[in-house]
Amino acid sequence: MAENIKAKAVPGTKPPPMGADKTVVKAINLSGGIFGACPAHVDVKDGKVVRIRPLHYDSKYDYDSFNAWEMERNGVKWRPLSKSVPPPWGLAYKKRAYSPNRVPYPMKRVDWDPNGERNPQNRGSSKFERISWDEATDLIAAEIRRVHKEYGPLAILLQCDGHSESKLIHAPHGCSTLLLDKMGGFTQQVRNPDSWEGWYWGAKHVWGKGFIGNMAPAENIVVDITENTELLVVQGGDLETTPWGFRGQMASRLMFFWNECGIKQVYICPDLNYSAAIHGDKWIPVLPNTDAALQLAIIYTWVTEGTYDKEYVATHAVGMDKMEEYVLGKVDGVPKTPKWASEKCGIPSYTIKALARDWAKKATTVGHYFGGGYIRGPYSTEPARLEVILLGMQGLGKPGRHHAQIAYMGMPKNITWDQLQYDIANSDTSKGFQEYSGTFETIKHKDPELHERIFNPHRGTPQAWGKQLIPKTLIEEAIKCGTDKTLNFWGTGGHEEEPIDQMVKYNYPVRKGDIRMLQGSTQNNPNLKHDDRDLESTYYKVDYDGVPIRMVWTDTPCRQTCWGDGFDIGMTIRDPQIEFVLAQHPWLENDCIYADIVLPTNTYLEVDDVMPCVRDGEHFQTMLNMRKAIEPVGESKSDFEAVVEIAKKLGMEKEVTIGRTVEQYIEGVYKGMNFDQIVPYEEWLEKDYMVIPVSKNWRNLPAGLSEFANDPVKNPLPTPTGKLEFCSTNLSKYFPNDEERPPYPQWIEKGITHDERLSSSRARTYPLLIITNHPRWRVHAQADDIPWTKEADTGKVRGFDGYLYEPCWIHPDDAAARGINNGDIVRVFNERGSVLCGALVFERIMPGALSVDHGARTDIIIPGKLDRGGAINLITPKGLTSKHAAGQATTSFLVDVERVSMAQYDEWRTEYPEAWNREYDRASGLKATAWVERGSK
Amino acid sequence: MGKKVFLIDTKGCNGCYSCQIGCKDEHVANDWTPIAKPQPEIGHFWFKLQQKVRGTVPKVKVAYTPRICMHCDNAPCMDACKHGAKYKRDDGLVIIDPVKCIGCRNCTELCPYDAIFFNEDLNIAQKCTGCAHLIDAGWKETRCTDNCPTICMRMVDEDSSEAKEFIKKAEVLKPELNTKPRVYYTGLPKKFIAGTLFDPVEDEVYIGAECSLAGAGGKYNTKTDEYGDFWFEDLPDGKFKLEFKAGGKTKVFDDLDTTAADINMGDIPL
Repeated sequence: MAENIKAKAVPGTKPPPMGADKTVVKAINLSGGIFGACPAHVDVKDGKVVRIRPLHYDSKYDYDSFNAWEMERNGVKWRPLSKSVPPPWGLAYKKRAYSPNRVPYPMKRVDWDPNGERNPQNRGSSKFERISWDEATDLIAAEIRRVHKEYGPLAILLQCDGHSESKLIHAPHGCSTLLLDKMGGFTQQVRNPDSWEGWYWGAKHVWGKGFIGNMAPAENIVVDITENTELLVVQGGDLETTPWGFRGQMASRLMFFWNECGIKQVYICPDLNYSAAIHGDKWIPVLPNTDAALQLAIIYTWVTEGTYDKEYVATHAVGMDKMEEYVLGKVDGVPKTPKWASEKCGIPSYTIKALARDWAKKATTVGHYFGGGYIRGPYSTEPARLEVILLGMQGLGKPGRHHAQIAYMGMPKNITWDQLQYDIANSDTSKGFQEYSGTFETIKHKDPELHERIFNPHRGTPQAWGKQLIPKTLIEEAIKCGTDKTLNFWGTGGHEEEPIDQMVKYNYPVRKGDIRMLQGSTQNNPNLKHDDRDLESTYYKVDYDGVPIRMVWTDTPCRQTCWGDGFDIGMTIRDPQIEFVLAQHPWLENDCIYADIVLPTNTYLEVDDVMPCVRDGEHFQTMLNMRKAIEPVGESKSDFEAVVEIAKKLGMEKEVTIGRTVEQYIEGVYKGMNFDQIVPYEEWLEKDYMVIPVSKNWRNLPAGLSEFANDPVKNPLPTPTGKLEFCSTNLSKYFPNDEERPPYPQWIEKGITHDERLSSSRARTYPLLIITNHPRWRVHAQADDIPWTKEADTGKVRGFDGYLYEPCWIHPDDAAARGINNGDIVRVFNERGSVLCGALVFERIMPGALSVDHGARTDIIIPGKLDRGGAINLITPKGLTSKHAAGQATTSFLVDVERVSMAQYDEWRTEYPEAWNREYDRASGLKATAWVERGSK
Repeated sequence: MGKKVFLIDTKGCNGCYSCQIGCKDEHVANDWTPIAKPQPEIGHFWFKLQQKVRGTVPKVKVAYTPRICMHCDNAPCMDACKHGAKYKRDDGLVIIDPVKCIGCRNCTELCPYDAIFFNEDLNIAQKCTGCAHLIDAGWKETRCTDNCPTICMRMVDEDSSEAKEFIKKAEVLKPELNTKPRVYYTGLPKKFIAGTLFDPVEDEVYIGAECSLAGAGGKYNTKTDEYGDFWFEDLPDGKFKLEFKAGGKTKVFDDLDTTAADINMGDIPL
C-alpha cells in the first residue's frame, strides 16, 4: 500500500456515553450482501439497547487523516461530514429487535406430519406449535435425507437471495448453500434484477453488459455532474427514499448541494416523490409507465428540429436510421409527435417540446436510484432502452452527460483502489479482482477456504450458480409444471450475466446437453475480455438431468409482498408436490406463515460479525468490527448458526464451519482484505472501526463513458459492434420477430404478456394506473413493524378501527369522484384480488394514478382474495417483463379503488372473525403469537 | 454554561423524521430522571416534524417544519404551574420536573406551541428537555440534531457567532405572544403563486414572458422559464394583481388571494 496512509489515533478515549455500559459499532443499512453501510454506534445498558446513533468518524481518529474529497461549483463547496447519515428506520432498529413480531422459538405447523398427513392445502391457514431446536433439526435433517434419497439433491429449492441486514459471517441469506452445495447441490432461485428490470433486459442490448445493466464504467460521474451538468432529469427514481436502504442519506446531501450550486432538477414521475418534493425545480407528472411515449416524442422533436448530436451518433451508434424511420411514422404510419405522446402520457404537448429543447440545449444527465414507475413495470425494456438512446443522441459520456444511479456509483475512490491498480499492474492478471471491493478478492488468493465460507452465501444475490435454476419470477410456474412438464425461459436473470445469456433458452428441470454460462467471467476480472458474438466460447454443456422440486427452504420469506401476483404465490405453495417448506427468519411475517417448520433467527444486534462498508454512497468508507450488542432474543440463533445446527444432524458440521470460530473468521477477513496495512488488527479490534482514507489520486479516473465518447474505436463498448446499439445486433439475430422487445425500442400498447394500458377494455372496470414504489418507510418487506416510522405523516393511516393501514395516495379529484375522504379505509382491487389501504388524499399524486408503496406485511383475510395489510404486490401482474425477458412487472398496472362501506366492513368482520381479529399490537402491528396455537411445551 | 438556542433552517430539511425518531429512541423505555421519565411508546411528539403539502398538481411543494418545546424565556407553562414542577436551567432549557409534577394538566392546554403532552400511565406532563441529561453528561448535540443528516437543525450557544448571524435573519413562531422562544427559524413556508403560460394556437409555451405581481408587501417581477413556468415564492398572505405580457398580448388577474393557500394558476392560455 501507499505510504503515509495510517489514520492517526486521537489520544485518550472518551467515557461510555450517558446511561450505557457498552458501546458497539454496527452497519445498520438493509441492503445486505457482502458489503454494508451506515455505520452506527449502539449504546447498551444491562444487556438492553439504549440507543442507536450515527457514528462520528472522528470519534477515534483524526479527520484530517481521511484525506476528505471536496467538490465545488459556482463557489459552493461540498465535503464529507464527520458523521454517518443513516436512515430513520436504522436509527429506530431496536424496535425491530424487540418486536412482538419476532419468531419466539422453533415452530411446526400443527397439522403437518411428515410421517402421516402433511396437509399442504392448509399452508397459510393452520397455525403453529412450539417445538425444540433439537426436535426441529431432527425433522429437517430427516426430510433432507428423505428428499435426497427419493428424488435427488436438486429436488430441494433454495430461496436465499435479496436484501437483508448487513452481516458478513451470519449472512441472512444463503447460509443454506454452504450445507447443500457439499451434499450434491440444489435448485437455485435466481434473484431477478428486481429494481432495474428495464436496464437489465433492455439497456444491456444498447450499451452492453454495463454494471448489472446500468452504465459502466460510472466512475467519477458525481464530480463530473457537479462541474459540468446543467440539467438533471430525474425519471422515476427517488433520491430521498431508495438510497436509504443501500447507503443512507448522503444522496440527500448531494441533491441539496446540486440545488445550491444551480444545477436545475426536473422530475418526471406520476407522484411528487420525496426527492421531487424538496429538490425539484420542476415536476412533470407522467401517467404510470407511459414514459416511452414521452421519450419517443423527444426523439421526434430532435429529429425534426435537427437538434441532436449527429456527429456523435454517426461515430458512436448504430441503428439511428431505424429509430428515425420509426418516430417519423414510416414503420407503422403513426408519427410519434408530441401530440401523439401527450394522449398517452398525459403531459401537454407544449411541455414535451419545451423539455426536448431544454435538454438539447444543455449538458443533461438522467438521474435515478433504481425503482420508479417505468423501470420495473410491463415492457420496462422499452423506456430503459429509449433512455440510453436519448443520452446517446446528446453525446453520452461527454462532460456532464451521463446515466447516473446517483451516488450509488461514481463517488471518489478510497486508497484500496490505489492498491487494486498496483496489483493489476504488477501481478498475474489472471488473478482477478472484484469490482468495487478493492481488496475483498485478495482473500480468495490468500485463503480460498475462508473465501468460500464467507462469500458463497452472498453469491445467491448476483450470480446463478446452482446446478438447476429457476428465475425468481417463475417459481410458481415451475411448481405448476408438476412432475411431467418443462418450463422454458431465456436468461437466468443473474445480475452479473452477459447480455448474450438472454439469448439462451433454459429448461426447468435442467436437461443433459443444456448450455450454461461459464463461471468467473468478467465480473471478477476486468482484464478478461468477453465476446458477445460467440455463444459457444462463453458456455458449456450440462452433463446431468434435473428433477422437479419437492422441498422449499427459504430464508427470504417475502415473495408475496415483493414479487408479482402475490395471491397466486400464497395459493401455489399449497401444492402437494411441495412436501416440505422450511423457513428461517427473525420475524413471523409474509411467507413464513406458509412454512411447515419455522426456525427463529436473529438480528445484527445479537451476533458478532465484521463488515466492510466499502461501496460508493457514503461520506467515508469504513471497516467495522461489529461486536454483539445484546444476547439473542428468545430462542433465536443466527442464520448461520441455524444451518450449523441442521448440519450437525447430518454429520456435516465441519464442512459448513470449516472448523473455525467466529473470531477466526473476523481476523481472517480483516487481514485477508489487507486492512491491517492501514490500521493494525489489535488497534482496530480496540476501536471497533477504521476509516479508509480517500485516494489522493481519485480525480484521475475518467468520468463515466468519457473515454468511449473521446475515442469509440480505441475504447469500444462491450456490444457486438462496439458502439451504442440503438438497434440491437443480438435481438435482431435471436428474436427478430419479438413484438414485445423488438430489435429497437418501440411503444408497446399491449401484447401477449400484458394488457395494462388505459386503452385496454379492462380499463373500463379498472380505470386507474397504480405505481408501487420502493417504500419510504421500509426496505421492501423489511422493517414494517417499527412503530415510530408509522407515525410519520406518510407512514401509516390509522383507520377508525385502530388498525394501521398502508397509505394509498389518491388525488382529490379521484377521491371526490368515489366519495373517498382522507383517512378512509379503501379497497384497491382488480381481477387478481383486493388489498385494503388507508386513503391519503392529497396533491402529491396526479389525477388518474394511485400510489401504494410495495412491501407492506401481509395480513390475509381471505386466501387468494383479500388482504388487510396493504401488500399491493398481491395484485400486481403475473406476467414477466415480456415474453423473452424474465423480469418482474410489479408496478404501473390497472386497478380501481373504493371506500369500504360499513356494511362491507361488518360482513368481513363477521364472516372471517378469526382472521379479522388476529392479535394486534397498537404500535407495531401483527404479533407473532397470532399464529401460535400451542405455545407452551 | 452558555445559554442554548436552537437554529432551524426548514429549507434544509428533507423530511426523514430521524429527529422525531431520535427523540423516541432516547426517551421511550429509557428513564432519565431527574430530567425526564420515559415517554409512551407512541403518540407523544416531544419532537414533531410537521409536513405541509403546498399547491396543486403540478405546482406542488412539500414543506417540513420541525417543532419542539420553544424553551421560552417567558414561558406560559411556567407561569401556569402551581406545583413548582417547571424550572428554567441556567442554559435556558425549560424542564418539567417528573417527580414534582402532579398531573394537574394546567399546562398541557396552555402551551401556544402544543409542545406539552400528557402521560396517562405516569400521570405527568412531559415535553422536550433539550436532551438536558445528555448535555449534562458532556454531549454537544441533542439526539434530534445528532440524527439530522442535513444539519438543518443545531443547538448552539446563544452568544456564538453562528447563533448571532442566524438570528439576524431568523424568525420565531408566534412572536406576537411575547413568549421569547429560544427556537429560531429560517425558511418557514410562506405562500407562492405559480403557473405556466402557453400559446394554444402555436401549441408552445412562452419563454421569457413578463410576469408582474403587485399587492401585499409590494411589487414583484419575474419571467417565465424554459418550460413557460413562473414562480413567485415567499409571498405574504394577502391580495394580489398579476399581469402577463407575451407576444404582444396581455392578460391580467386581479383577484388573487394567498390568505387561504398557495395558488397554482394552472396552464394559462395566452
